[in-house]
Amino acid sequence: MRQALSGSSQKLVISIAIVLIIGAHAVPLALGPAWRRTWPVLLWAMYKKSRPPGPIVAYKRRILVVSARGTSEEATPQLVGLGPPAMTRRYVRPMLDGDSSAARRLLDRLNRGRADPFVTLRVESERFTLTDDGVVSEALPPIAYRPARPSTD
Amino acid sequence: MSLARWLTRWNAFWFPTTTTRALGLCRMVAVAAQLFWFFPKLSEHLNLVEKNSAFIQPQALIMALTAVVPRDLLFSETGLRSLYVVTMVAGVLALVGWWTRTALLVLAAGIWIFVAHLYSYGGVHHEAALFSILLVCLACSPSGDSFSLDALIRDRRGDGGPRVVDTASWALRLAHVLLAMTYFSTGMTKVIDGGPNWINGYTLQGYLFGDAIARGLPLGIWLARQHELCVVLSVYTLLFELFFFVSLLVPWTAPLFFISGIGFHISLYLTGGHDFFPHIVTLVMLLIATVPRWWEERQGAIAAATAGLRRRRATLPAA
Repeated sequence: MRQALSGSSQKLVISIAIVLIIGAHAVPLALGPAWRRTWPVLLWAMYKKSRPPGPIVAYKRRILVVSARGTSEEATPQLVGLGPPAMTRRYVRPMLDGDSSAARRLLDRLNRGRADPFVTLRVESERFTLTDDGVVSEALPPIAYRPARPSTD
Repeated sequence: MSLARWLTRWNAFWFPTTTTRALGLCRMVAVAAQLFWFFPKLSEHLNLVEKNSAFIQPQALIMALTAVVPRDLLFSETGLRSLYVVTMVAGVLALVGWWTRTALLVLAAGIWIFVAHLYSYGGVHHEAALFSILLVCLACSPSGDSFSLDALIRDRRGDGGPRVVDTASWALRLAHVLLAMTYFSTGMTKVIDGGPNWINGYTLQGYLFGDAIARGLPLGIWLARQHELCVVLSVYTLLFELFFFVSLLVPWTAPLFFISGIGFHISLYLTGGHDFFPHIVTLVMLLIATVPRWWEERQGAIAAATAGLRRRRATLPAA
């Protein structure tokens, strides 16, 4: 580039690039939600929500799948083949809301090409509460799904 | 202000005349970090390709690529393995500075494709964004003019290019500006969306506790129990994010902000598991580029003050 462009032309090209890169960061703000996940120009708004004073509670969840032969395995994002946010959005959150079709879809996804298909899915949750004395944990009743037939999607 | 004065200021900010040594050193730091610290994990990409017959939310770059090259060709096991090797080799060449500009461009292209591919399956994260832009900017800068085999070869031939140029600073300045913009954006959304409750301590306790429990981080759980400390850290977080841009306007404060930023990201990682490693490396690079000049200025100021003191003493009548 140094040979091809004179000093001032080089600076002009760089200046235009600088303006474009900085300006591109206004796009997610200006053009709305569809543009906010376009990497690498993203909307930077992490952890923006606040909460009023009150008990501090956190949940830990895991999904266990059991095969027809009785083998049990944790359905991690790696096993499912999705990133954690996508897995939560597509499967975990709907299942917690009682949508049994999400469990069926997840099993169908996991069973692609498996000789020993998974037949049961269980969502296990643990609630952790901060207290003055430390952390109190409490296992919540698991939610089990045993889809009778494969989903159509 | 006239256009000429604006241009003078613009050039003074983006294109100061300086050596390429700091830029060359920053290139080595950036590439080494990318290669040995946060290089894409091939197994993760192969797993995604194996378990998904299509992208879920393809990124713009991936859509553009698949418009030219079929998905089954580039995003197959063979395609990804080949891209991985090419990117790795380009990274090694960029690190030692041989065919630096080309190697950096290939490295940056490979990293962009890998990151965009990873984020095409329904999850987008922020940590790699600025650093990936910085890699491209380094490729377009004379970052191979120092601390490189290219420079060594040119020196041996006796046709070494100028090592004092006016294009050695803009890439790092741009990284500085983008950091300031993104921190400010993050801080402002906390102010607008969260309001005063964002600094009530409970908010930070909730975030810390949720992340620390999910990721098994004892330090985060401990910190989540310290309400008063969380109030202080909430205020610190907001002040840091909202006022990081001051480091651009008042240059002598820049190293202090950079060091605070490095501490900020390390503590976020230890307590919440947020792996903003590229931001840490960018801040280290900004320190490398800033501190020598900062130290020279401080030394100059100290020398001037000492000389002034001596002159005053000399002019005072003997007691």
